[in-house]
Amino acid sequence: MIQFFSRPRSVFSAAAILRAILLIYGSLQDAFSPMKYTDIDYFVFTDAARFISQGQSPYTRDTYRYTPLLAWLIYPTTWQGKWFPFGKILFAIGDIVAGWLILLILRSSGKMPMDRALKFASIWLLNPMVAQISTRGSSEGLLGVVVSALLWAVLSRRIQLAGLLLGFAVHFKIYPFIYATSIIWWLDDEHVHGASSNQSKTLYSRVIGFVNSARITLATYSLLTFMILNALMYYLYGWPFLQHSYFHHLTRIDHRHNFSPYNTLLYLNSSPTGKSTAKLESLAFIPQLFLSAVAIPLAIAKKDLPSTMLAQTFAFVTFNKVCTSQYFLWYIIFLPFYLPSSTLLQKPSIGIAAGILWVSGQVIWLQQGYRLEFLGISSFVPGLWASSILFFVVNIWILGIALKDAASVENPRAKTIMAHKIQ
Amino acid sequence: MKQRITYVVHDPDDFNPSQLHLSPTNDSFTLDSVNAAKEHRLTFGLSELPQELYRVLRQCHELHIRWASEKPYASIPPYVSRISPGLHAFFTPHKGSPAYVDLLCPLLKKVFGDGLKCESPQDTFIGMPILSERFSMSSASQYYQLLPSLKDLVTYIQQKICATSDPSCQTHAASLLSATYVDIDYDTISHALVLNVFWDRAPDAESWTETIALCQKADHIEVGVLTSEKAVDPEDLAFSGFLTVIGKDSKPSPTRFSFPARHHPLPSSAPPTPPLTYTTSFRQPTGLHPTLLLSFPSASLTPPDETCALHAYLTLPAALFIDKYQLSDPLFLSSQHLTSLRSISGATDLEAPVWVVPEWGSAALLELAVPASPSSSNSDSDSASHSRSSSPPNPGPDDWTVRIPLHLRYLSPNANASGLAPVAAPWPAVFWACRGEEGAKMAASPFDRVNLGYEGLFGPKTMFYHVPPAAANVSSEVGARLVEEIRVPVLDLDQAWYVEWGTAVVVGLGTLWVFWKLFEIVRRDLVGGTKVEGEGKKAQ
Repeated sequence: MIQFFSRPRSVFSAAAILRAILLIYGSLQDAFSPMKYTDIDYFVFTDAARFISQGQSPYTRDTYRYTPLLAWLIYPTTWQGKWFPFGKILFAIGDIVAGWLILLILRSSGKMPMDRALKFASIWLLNPMVAQISTRGSSEGLLGVVVSALLWAVLSRRIQLAGLLLGFAVHFKIYPFIYATSIIWWLDDEHVHGASSNQSKTLYSRVIGFVNSARITLATYSLLTFMILNALMYYLYGWPFLQHSYFHHLTRIDHRHNFSPYNTLLYLNSSPTGKSTAKLESLAFIPQLFLSAVAIPLAIAKKDLPSTMLAQTFAFVTFNKVCTSQYFLWYIIFLPFYLPSSTLLQKPSIGIAAGILWVSGQVIWLQQGYRLEFLGISSFVPGLWASSILFFVVNIWILGIALKDAASVENPRAKTIMAHKIQ
Repeated sequence: MKQRITYVVHDPDDFNPSQLHLSPTNDSFTLDSVNAAKEHRLTFGLSELPQELYRVLRQCHELHIRWASEKPYASIPPYVSRISPGLHAFFTPHKGSPAYVDLLCPLLKKVFGDGLKCESPQDTFIGMPILSERFSMSSASQYYQLLPSLKDLVTYIQQKICATSDPSCQTHAASLLSATYVDIDYDTISHALVLNVFWDRAPDAESWTETIALCQKADHIEVGVLTSEKAVDPEDLAFSGFLTVIGKDSKPSPTRFSFPARHHPLPSSAPPTPPLTYTTSFRQPTGLHPTLLLSFPSASLTPPDETCALHAYLTLPAALFIDKYQLSDPLFLSSQHLTSLRSISGATDLEAPVWVVPEWGSAALLELAVPASPSSSNSDSDSASHSRSSSPPNPGPDDWTVRIPLHLRYLSPNANASGLAPVAAPWPAVFWACRGEEGAKMAASPFDRVNLGYEGLFGPKTMFYHVPPAAANVSSEVGARLVEEIRVPVLDLDQAWYVEWGTAVVVGLGTLWVFWKLFEIVRRDLVGGTKVEGEGKKAQ
């Protein structure tokens, strides 16, 4: 076991074999069983790619709500036959590249020995949930590469690349815009040049000092990338692109049951029989965005950027108006950076309790969902509502632990500076 | 007004011409205990109609209304075509006057009842799939709603069309209450409104004993009393019997004729094989993804001809829908004993809740799979295992069960119903569609019936062999309906009073908790910064 984690080759081979087995198993199940392994979304992507190959808009396919780039990316699937799993292979390769980037970050910025870094990278690389989601053909994993590459670029001060990746990520899936504030806040002179910011400054020089070249570069590159991609897609596919990729997410009702605490409220208030006293659900974006895009980055981004991004994503998903298990992948990518110094590992009792509560919150909800969806029992209240509230409370508690941990991480550089002073 | 009345005798051995009498003055015709099905066709000139009807019809290019009773019935040639029970409307607007089309829904509500969900043809009606732009015979749009009774139509006719001094008109209108199906047709070319009413048997009695009298001296009424004969050509239907034109003829004249028919009964099956019928049910529990089951005695699933394919035509209310993408995989289709989804139109959005769907619902044509060889199907492990594991109690092991996967939209929350809301779906129309040779001549048949929703989805030469619902054989069974009702879980408003403030309080407290954690961090930073330096000094 120790041997296994000491060599990158063995871990990456295992990750690749795991995905290869799932891909082969999946294509066999697809070929011989009426129950498909392949995710329904993958059929949406491949249908959209086929429309593109016929010179039509990808939005001709109902429920295609992604950037046309995704359909272009899996264009070879339109060559039929053997090419059908091309997209899944691409997503699986994306997983492994993301794992490699995680390892790079742990080794360089985390200053971690190889075997320890490989163990933590395995949370992503050898995670059956991650491997299954990408081999079933869901694109959520693809975002993992982009986000881990973004983090790697920022931590290794490749600011222009980071800007490109941030712009692309927001174009691809919107939610990564929350990382803009934490990265901008983190990019102070101390982090960019290693210069100490402890000298007392006037307010004026602080404001001027905030607008440093790294921040300007990141903002310019990300905005330009985002706008150019949007302009290009709008030029190619017109209004349906904006409607389905962006406005749909603003106007959707999300009345169908999901993990979000707002779910029952949305069902109630979007229906004509629901008599809403105040449209509280229309204010739902305020706590969500204020916490994930403003308060959390400002409070902790400078201490520990990867853990801040985990906390931001965790808060974003927890407070979102819609929440399904695919969204959990968005923060699982950050676990390898956060867990090494977390309370969850330092105090196993808390870690185990958090794990059990997080899983059982979902199990209780799923049991209510099963009663509704398959047995036809009206389990909306109290069943589904109470279990989504319970899951929300569990998530909030874990978020609190993560915030405290991220804040108490001792910045290695700050430590050295301090050590110099002490001497 | 022109009238044509046709009786088709159920049992030819039971019928004798002496049961028919023409009055000495030739102005009335009496039937004495004739056990038969009856069709009454009335043709009105536009000038004979009330102003409000005329105003709406003038804006229609075509309007065809079909209504069928929910009660099971046995069909008899030539009245063998079937539609799902309820009210169907097929409509093509007149070119150039779209504004008046908004009169159609208010009129339908006035005539058939306020309960109809109908806003306007643009919103509520669904487009009909067009097979061929040039040769299409079907209407542009389609409407459907479950409607158990025609009592509103009867009231409308009695109040708006019958003269108050005409008790026979009132009685005739009331007779619609016992009708098996009613067709109303209008198109600009004929400029006439045709009301066609069919009874599968005499209501409240074994047989028809009635007198048909002319209203005015100048009128003519055609009366035919027919029995079904075996046709020489399998594409034909043949009849013999007596035709009488009241007001013209002095005695019933014997007749014998045949014609190519679009709609056929099933060929009679050899004695050990039961006749082909079908049963519709929902797999229990229905959940949010109900599966509609169509069961057939598998030994009887022999096509009338090798060109034939078994089809089901579904009209689904908006609460239920078919996912066309789910029905595109051949493996999945065959596991459900389906061959393909041939056509689907209407409200097919996969995500919308019912309250944002303006259309009445959707219509789908499915081609059904049949056992590879009907005699060997009992040993077919696939069908046996499926019917054992998934069927409700009624289909037996010798049944071939076709499973149609449906999905439910979210319905509005309700109160006083323990969080359940009823959704009803009519039985589909099931038939073999076969290639015929004499398409053009079918339309010339005196009994041709088109604009049923599905026949326009096939080529003009197609013949239909209609499969009767199983319950048709036990039509005397009280309460049997060709409608399946399920209970759908919805949010129970009686228990939901705390959802709004409960969610707000929990999310609010959660937000405050996170703020508190962040506040602690920031405070420790501000205070702690000096503390660390202090500790540093101490260490020094």
